[in-house]
Amino acid sequence: MAFALEIDGLSKVYGTLRAVDAFSLCVAQGTIFGLLGPNGAGKTTLIRMLTTLLRPSAGSARIEGHDILSSARTVRSLIGVVPQDNNLDRYLTCRENLVLHARMYAMAPTEYNRRIDELLELIGLTGRQHDFPDTFSGGMQRRLVVARALVHAPRVLFLDEPTTGLDPQSRRAVWDYVQSLTPQMTIFLTTHYMDEADALCERIVIMDHGRALVDGTAAELKERLAHAHTYELEFRSDGERYEKILRGLPFVRNLQRTGNSFRLALAGEEFLKPLMDRIGGDDIRKICLKEPSLEDVFIELTGREVRE
Amino acid sequence: MFRGAIAIFWRDLLVLRRSLFSELLAVIAYPLTLYLAFGIGLRGYIADVDGVPYALFIAPGLISMTAVSAAFNDSAWSVWFHRRVQRTIEEYRVTPITVYDIVIGKIFSGFAQGTLKGLAVALVIFILTPFRFPPAHLLAYLLFIFLGSMVFSCVGTICGTMIDKPENIGRVEAVVIVPLIFMSGIFFPLSSYPKAAFAAISLLPTTAIFEGARQALLNGKLAPLSIAILLVTAVIAFAAATFTFNRKMSE
Ligand SMILES: Nc1ncnc2c1ncn2[C@@H]1O[C@H](COP(=O)(O)OP(=O)(O)OP(=O)(O)O)[C@@H](O)[C@H]1O
Ligand SMILES: [Mg+2]
Repeated sequence: MAFALEIDGLSKVYGTLRAVDAFSLCVAQGTIFGLLGPNGAGKTTLIRMLTTLLRPSAGSARIEGHDILSSARTVRSLIGVVPQDNNLDRYLTCRENLVLHARMYAMAPTEYNRRIDELLELIGLTGRQHDFPDTFSGGMQRRLVVARALVHAPRVLFLDEPTTGLDPQSRRAVWDYVQSLTPQMTIFLTTHYMDEADALCERIVIMDHGRALVDGTAAELKERLAHAHTYELEFRSDGERYEKILRGLPFVRNLQRTGNSFRLALAGEEFLKPLMDRIGGDDIRKICLKEPSLEDVFIELTGREVRE
Repeated sequence: MFRGAIAIFWRDLLVLRRSLFSELLAVIAYPLTLYLAFGIGLRGYIADVDGVPYALFIAPGLISMTAVSAAFNDSAWSVWFHRRVQRTIEEYRVTPITVYDIVIGKIFSGFAQGTLKGLAVALVIFILTPFRFPPAHLLAYLLFIFLGSMVFSCVGTICGTMIDKPENIGRVEAVVIVPLIFMSGIFFPLSSYPKAAFAAISLLPTTAIFEGARQALLNGKLAPLSIAILLVTAVIAFAAATFTFNRKMSE
């Protein structure tokens, strides 16, 4: 299989902080890859190294076979970048922002004008193309940044939190579009939305403290938590009484109550019967095994506390 | 080759064109005020300088001053703004253009703005005042404006690249740029300096700009020493600006 991206022990050190720590990864061509991780995990730092903005402290990486250090210019001609923070030129109109980008790639006007018309249509900004980005909502600006990264039809697209600040409609529009870009294009994205990674990415890596923690499809990652046996239990009434009972059971873990609904984990599958025996069937409205979500996996791996 | 520099230059001219009228109005106000205050207001108190009426003596310097300070300001603030505020430099840097494209594009737009604004002031002074010069001298004068704007645009680029806090750009301007300009013979002849200072001052590139430009405009003389000093300074400043920018970008 051909790789769009081969990362080999890439590191970035700031003083004593290892923002990215010997990170290695290969991404197959034409796939959508998702990088998840809490704030400060090193996602943006990794993308900045791959897009030739930041010099790695150690390690190497190749994009479509070209080294990011020795062939930086070739690499840049193959990639499109949507940075975490919008960096539009606010003194240029929406369309001029796209035209300037095209000119950097030496595209001919006949070529870029057609392409820009298409992209503006796609992001729904055709009617606003002669307005300045300052007059746009955050979501409209974000869409414009995504469109700008696509003007020159890159082979590998880096998206650093592309849908942050978008409404559900725009998010879905971006997902649909990103999906339609494969398999001609390889997509490398970071996101804090677990549903987004779940719906979009064929492969996910969760990283923290500059290192990869797990790697696999969304289903594979969830599989890792399948041993957790989380159940949802809902009673018709008497929440107080059942809480006391459940708290008294030694094999019940992580009990959470909202009104008459409970969420709990069992120490093992074999405890389901003792549980049912103890609470009886009369008041139960619903009992079900809860599939672990990607978010559960994320929290399990990276801990609960908020990062500084 | 240089298509990135051309694209950036195109962008800067596009933006300048939108606000051309208000920019020119703002840039003309200051030298014109100086001209009226010193050249007209103080006329009766100041004797001719080396046989040249005082108003005539300061006019070329005011034009050169406008050009070089516009070149400095535009480059310094533009590089700073694109680097620190809009972060558009990062957008430029993920495209296949080189760092040299970016810095050369920025230097040339600073240079173009300086030249343009200098010309605007020249035109206004010419229209509103009795200041006259032989048209044949214009070409020699423009050479000094060109070189001067180039030097100051490079110096501005270095400031915009190295300085992160905006107030420090203002400080550099107040402590370095403005004194350099004012001490270099715009308002008084260099012969007013004590002998010892004179030698040092006359080697300053700013002196070469202002003194050389005045000689060129009033007498049609191309002083070889001034041209040589300016050329060398321009080459050094250009190399220093591209080097500084390149190094900053690879941090
Ligand atoms: N220029 C810098 N100097 C020092 N430390 C830095 C610098 N840039 C980033 N860091 C540190 O590197 C670590 C990784 O930052 P990075 O921006 O890559 O995180 P991230 O995963 O993108 O986080 P987020 O989800 O918040 O965007 C952080 O601890 C940050 O403080
Ligand atoms: Mg980030």
